Formats: sequence, structure tokens, C-alpha cells
Amino acid sequence: MAGSGIIDYAMWIVLLPILAFPVILFLGRMFNGLPQWRDGAKEGGIISLIVMGISLLLSLLLIMEHLNHVGSASIYTWFTSSWWDGSTAVMDTKIFGVGVYIDHITVMLLFVASFLCFLINVFSIGYMNTDPINKDRNHRFYAEFLLFCAGMLGMVLADSFLWLFIFWEIMGLCSYLLIGFYYERPSAAYAAKKAFLTTRVGDVFLLIGLIMLWDMFGSLDFAVVFDAAAIQAVDAGSLQLALGMMFIGAVGKSAQFPLHVWLPDAMEGPTPVSALIHAATMVNAGLYLVARMFPFFAAAPLGSMTTLAIIIAMVGGITACMAALIAFVQKDIKKVLAYSTMSQLAYIFTGLGAALWLVNNGYETLATVAFGASLFHLFNHAMAKGMLFMASGSVIHEMHHAHHEVHAHHDGEDGHDDHDDDDDFDAQSMENMGGLASRMPITATAMLVGSASIIGIPLIGGFWSKEGIIANAWQVALKEPIFMIPAMLILICAGMTGFYMSRMWFMTFAGEPKTEVAAKVKEQTAWIPIPLVVLTFVTLGGIIFAGLHSTNWLGDSTGGHFANFFGDHGIVAELGHAFANHDIFFFILTYVTIGLSSIFGPMLAMALYGGSLDEGQKAKGWMQWLINLNSQVKTNFHFDNSAWANSSLSRALDNRLYFDAWYDAACLKLVVGLANMASVFDRKVIDGAVKGIESSTQAASSKVRSLTTGSARDYIMMAALGTLAIFILIWGAA
Amino acid sequence: MIDPAWVSGLSAILFILGLWGAFTRKNAIVVLMCIELILNAVNLQFVAAAAHHGDVTGWIYTIFAIAIAAAEVAIGLAIFLSMYGQHETISLDEVNLLKH
Repeated sequence: MAGSGIIDYAMWIVLLPILAFPVILFLGRMFNGLPQWRDGAKEGGIISLIVMGISLLLSLLLIMEHLNHVGSASIYTWFTSSWWDGSTAVMDTKIFGVGVYIDHITVMLLFVASFLCFLINVFSIGYMNTDPINKDRNHRFYAEFLLFCAGMLGMVLADSFLWLFIFWEIMGLCSYLLIGFYYERPSAAYAAKKAFLTTRVGDVFLLIGLIMLWDMFGSLDFAVVFDAAAIQAVDAGSLQLALGMMFIGAVGKSAQFPLHVWLPDAMEGPTPVSALIHAATMVNAGLYLVARMFPFFAAAPLGSMTTLAIIIAMVGGITACMAALIAFVQKDIKKVLAYSTMSQLAYIFTGLGAALWLVNNGYETLATVAFGASLFHLFNHAMAKGMLFMASGSVIHEMHHAHHEVHAHHDGEDGHDDHDDDDDFDAQSMENMGGLASRMPITATAMLVGSASIIGIPLIGGFWSKEGIIANAWQVALKEPIFMIPAMLILICAGMTGFYMSRMWFMTFAGEPKTEVAAKVKEQTAWIPIPLVVLTFVTLGGIIFAGLHSTNWLGDSTGGHFANFFGDHGIVAELGHAFANHDIFFFILTYVTIGLSSIFGPMLAMALYGGSLDEGQKAKGWMQWLINLNSQVKTNFHFDNSAWANSSLSRALDNRLYFDAWYDAACLKLVVGLANMASVFDRKVIDGAVKGIESSTQAASSKVRSLTTGSARDYIMMAALGTLAIFILIWGAA
Repeated sequence: MIDPAWVSGLSAILFILGLWGAFTRKNAIVVLMCIELILNAVNLQFVAAAAHHGDVTGWIYTIFAIAIAAAEVAIGLAIFLSMYGQHETISLDEVNLLKH
């Protein structure tokens, strides 16, 4: 039953944040407004930081332990409840259990979730507690934040699909609460509702899928359903259908086409929440669910589940390009990142689709590589995107501060106002920024490294995994022609990523400040730079993670992940694989991808945006050369893109390809039609029945009432007639 | 001894007279007297049936009925008294408070 070592304590990773959730809420209620609570405990931020710290520590110990004895999954069962049907001598039918299931997928997600949650917590203390709009309600933020983290950690550690689903829903609830944190804003309330309802559509399908699984296997425990013999015993067609249903749930949670509409609106939440949802937790949940399907595909009969694998890759390919296109025209810095998230997650889906196709067709070795690349991209994306969101939060925060200074000067000394100023200055719009590279060096560096990782600049974090995904998608495309579509889409999307990420960086950090506010910005808030610096190094160190066999995560496990760092499967092999592939096709593919993503895309962005900094400003050396290059490219190759910017396509992209309008219209037609029918039914049938009973009773009673004349003689008559009637009855009966 | 059939016939005549009086008269006291007539018609019927069957039960019933009728008359007269106090009349046509 109980394992040994740190796994016995693994459940505390989840339990601690859950237990701390009410504690922070109650303490917040009790001490709200006290200076010790506000400045000392940071309105609960310190408590949640400690809790997340312990969770992170436990997670790291757990990960180390698991990585050292690689191979099979470790399972720890906390308790079970069993049920005895009387047919056997022992009570062995487990109906419900709580436990922890740890394999390589868990380890990867656990690290991402606990590490990023901790860093985002640090960031939140800087971001939330210096924002006057949050005065005296940050305890709510930290409590919900902890519950959210608990949801993600619990989902990752769960040992059955049932618990996975429960924690999945906890996350859904918390995303609603956190996106709607500024509930007094109608747009935030709307965004929260939208996120909740859109993911709900997927969740219903997930539940249906789980019920189908239960029907087939009689259990939802990983240990039971991942058993190869059990998988072969069930009908592959219905298993594929069940997994397809679960995939729709993943599509909703990970904001893929066509259930992607909630994600850009979710930017209404505070920036730490955006980082949390879009990097560390919620969107990864869907990927985790799809990754969990790997054993089904591995054990099912050869080629029986290819349809689903192709669908998964297709959804990924379409979403990747669509989101990247929309990101081209976004002006809000957080919206660019939101669409970038969708696009990058789509990469991972395509990679997982490729891995699932490969394993279902018997290419185990290739499949583990594709799977590893996908998981590694999840890791790289989470780190880079977490950093990018926090950096954008830093920019927005300091823009607000600078705006207040400028504002106060304009209005004279008495013009010091609160946060909710009436003017329509948008601190998130990139059109108000520019030239921040010298003014916010740490943030600019973090943003640069994060963007480079997302773009896939060689040797930095995301490069390794993105190359892996593209190569493996083409690997499948060579075997299955229809796979050519997603493979081509994500290859093109690599170039598009290069463009929109560069566009964001140059618009924000290069060029001259576009507003007076941007010129006054400086980094001044404590706590915020810490996670940025940490994540910058993590992202830069992508090569180290590549050396830890990350792109071959499930495969080759002899000796553990710490052996062979430089050797056969380590850095040398990775470098050789990436830059000097023996297969001429993949050799060319690599350089085409690099050319598209690292040269063509950024150059195009440089020609259009940015430029040299304003007079007297100089960025740090590692950014100054880029800005110099930018200004040279801009002066030499600048072209007028107004025709394209005013085209109908651009307008369509600006309106997110009208998806929201379509969904609204469809929902309106459908819902209003149904509502009208329901209203008619209600009026005619339900109200009609009630009113019919009422009016007929009234009519009858007024008839009866006319008998009560009040005259004693009539009553005597009635008594006599009644008696007579009784006599007649008795005579009749006798 | 008189044939119980005659007694039965007298009882029927008394009953019809009482019923007719109760339906037609206005004065509450007369109506009460008519109801007493009906009651006594029933008593006579009891006696006749007892004699016919040679069973003492009918007589016992009659004694009970007379005792209860005395109480009933007392209550009826008390009601008429209070009715007169309220309405200054005991005409049944004037008293129809129970009308709908």
C-alpha cells in the first residue's frame, strides 16, 4: 500500500494550499485594513508564499526521487473504500480511492506548476499589493490563487480520471473567480462568465468521455485503465470515441479552435492571473489530459486510433495559424501574449497528435521522441510565457505609475487621484509604449529572452522542443499524407511567431517613446524583478534541460536522467540532431524553420516597427545591438504597410475573425428561439393548467354558492331530500 | 290490542303533517313544533315496530328520543330567544344571515 520515501508526503503538495485557502480568507476578514496585515503579511501573500514554497520543495524532492528510479509509474494510495458483492471471499472491489500517481508526465507538469506558481506568487506580492484598486481585498486574491494552484497540482498528481476531473473543475471555478477579480467592471464579469461557460462546454464532453471509459473498464483508476491487456480487451472504436470526447474537454480547457474564444477575454483578470492561467496551470491541463491518453494509443491495436490522432494534430495546426494571424494586429500587449499562448499550445497538440499517431502505428522509438518534444515544449512555453506575462505585467504596472506622475503634474498638486481615472489612457496598449529598453532593463531582457524562446531562436529554450515537434510532424507526414496539413501549418506558423513576437518586443521596447508617460517609466516596484531574473536564466538554460534527455523524456531511461549528460543522448546528440541531421530532408527542414522563425519573421518586424531609442538613452549591451540592427533595418527596408493594415483581412483579424460575433449570433438564435418556445409552453401549458383549475373551481363554487340561500326552510328541504336520497340508496342496496 | 299497522299509519300521517308545517310556516316556534311532530311520528313508528316484533328495544329507543327531544327543544327555544334579541323577529323569512 504505502510506498517509501517522499511519495508518502506527496499529497501534502495539494492539501497544504487547500487548507490554507480558508485560513487566508478568514484571517483576511478578521484583520482587513490593519497595518500589520497589510504591510507585514502582505494581505496573505506571505502565507501563500510559504505554502507554495513548501509545495515546491516537496515537489522538487518528489521529482528528484522519481527521476532517479526511472521507468514505471510510482503509485501511492492514501486510502480506498471497497465494496464486497459477496461472490468472493475477499473484499477486493475498489470503488473509490485517493492517491498519487507519478510518472514522467506527472513529473514534468508538477515541476512546471509548482515552480511557476511559486514565482507568480512572488510577482503577485509586488504587483497586487501596490495597486490601489486592490485595496483591502488582496486576501481574496491569494486565497483563490492558492485554490487554483491546488487544483492544478491535484490534477497532475491524481491517480484516477475521477480525481483528475474533480480538480479540473476546481480550476474551472477558480478561473471564474480570478478572471472576474475586478468584478465591478462589466467587461471583467463578462469575461469571467465567458471563460466559465466556454470551458463548461468542453467539460460536459469530458464527463461523457469519462462515463464511457467507466463503462468499458469498470474503473477510472490509472492503474486499471492503463493496463495493456485491459485496453486490448475493449472495442477500439468505442475507446476512440471516448477519448475523442475527452479531447473536446481538453480543447475547451486549452483554448483551442473552436472553443478558443474565452482566452483573450480572460486578460481582464489581474496580470498575475493571466500568467497563472496561461502559463502555469489551466491551459496546460488540457495538454496533460491528452498526454495521459498515450498508454491507450500504445496498447490499442495497430492503426485503430489514427483518426483521433489526426484530429488532434489538425485542431493544433489550425489553431496555431489562426491565433498567430490574429496576434499580428493586436495592440494590447497582453492580448498578443494571449494569442501567442493559443498558438504555442496548438504546437504542443500537434506534437502530441504526431506522437499518438506514431505510437498507434508501431513506431515506438519515434513516438517517444515526439512525445518528449511535446512535453518539453510545454515546459519551455510555460517558463517563457510565465516570464512574458510577468514582464508585461511589470510594464503595465510601471506605465500606470508613470501615468499617475504625469497626471498629477498636469493637474497641479491637488490632482492626486485614485486609480480609476476617467481619462481613456490605456496602459496596456503598445501604441502608448516604445523606448522602454533603456528604462526597464530587467523587464526588457526578460521579454527578449522569453520572446526568443517562443520564436525558437537557436540554442534558447523553445528552440529544442519546437524543432522536435516540427520534425516529428513531418516524420508522420511522410508516412501519412493527410498529416501534411498540420505539418505545413505549424511550419508556416513558426515564421508567423517570429513576426508577431518581434513586433511586440520592438513596439514596446525599441523606438522612441510614443507618449509622455512612456518616457517617464522606470522599474521601481520591489518583488517584481525576482521571478523575471530567475525565469530568464531558466529559459536561457534550455540546453541544459535538453541535455537531461528532455526530448526523449519517456524513452531511454537506463541510468536515469542525470547520466549521459554530454553523451549519446545528451547535449552532443541533441546538437547533432538539431544542426547536422543525417537525413537530408530533416537537415533542410531544420534550416528552413530557423530561417523562417529566426530571420524572416523578426526582420519583417524590424522593418516595420521600432527604431533607435530617443536621444541620450542607451540600453544594455545585449539589447543595444539589437536596437541598432533594428534601426538600420528600418531605415533601409521600411515599407508602407498601410494598404495591408487597412484591408478587410486586417479588420477581420482585429475582430478576431468574427468568432465572437458568430458565436453570439448562433447562441442568440438558438437560445432566443428555445426561450420563445419555452415561454409559449410556460404560458399555454403550465400557466394554462393552473389557470384552468382555478377558473373551473371558481365557476363550480359560484354554482354551489347559489344553493346557500340563508333561508332555514331551504335547508330543511335539503335535509329532507338528502335523507330521502339515503333511504332510496339503502333500499336500492337491499 | 290495536293492530300496529294503524299506529304505523298514524305515524306516517303525523310525519307528513310535520314536514309540511316545517316547509310552509314562517314562525320559527311553529316550525319547531312541526319538527317535534316529525320526531314524535318517528317515536310512534318505533313503538309500532316494537309491538310488531315483540321486541323491547324500540320502546327503549323511544324513551331516549323523548329525553333528547326535550333537550333539543330547550336549545331551539334559546336560539329563538337570542334571535329575537338581535333581529326583533322570529320570522324565518327575515333571518338569512347565512346567505352566500
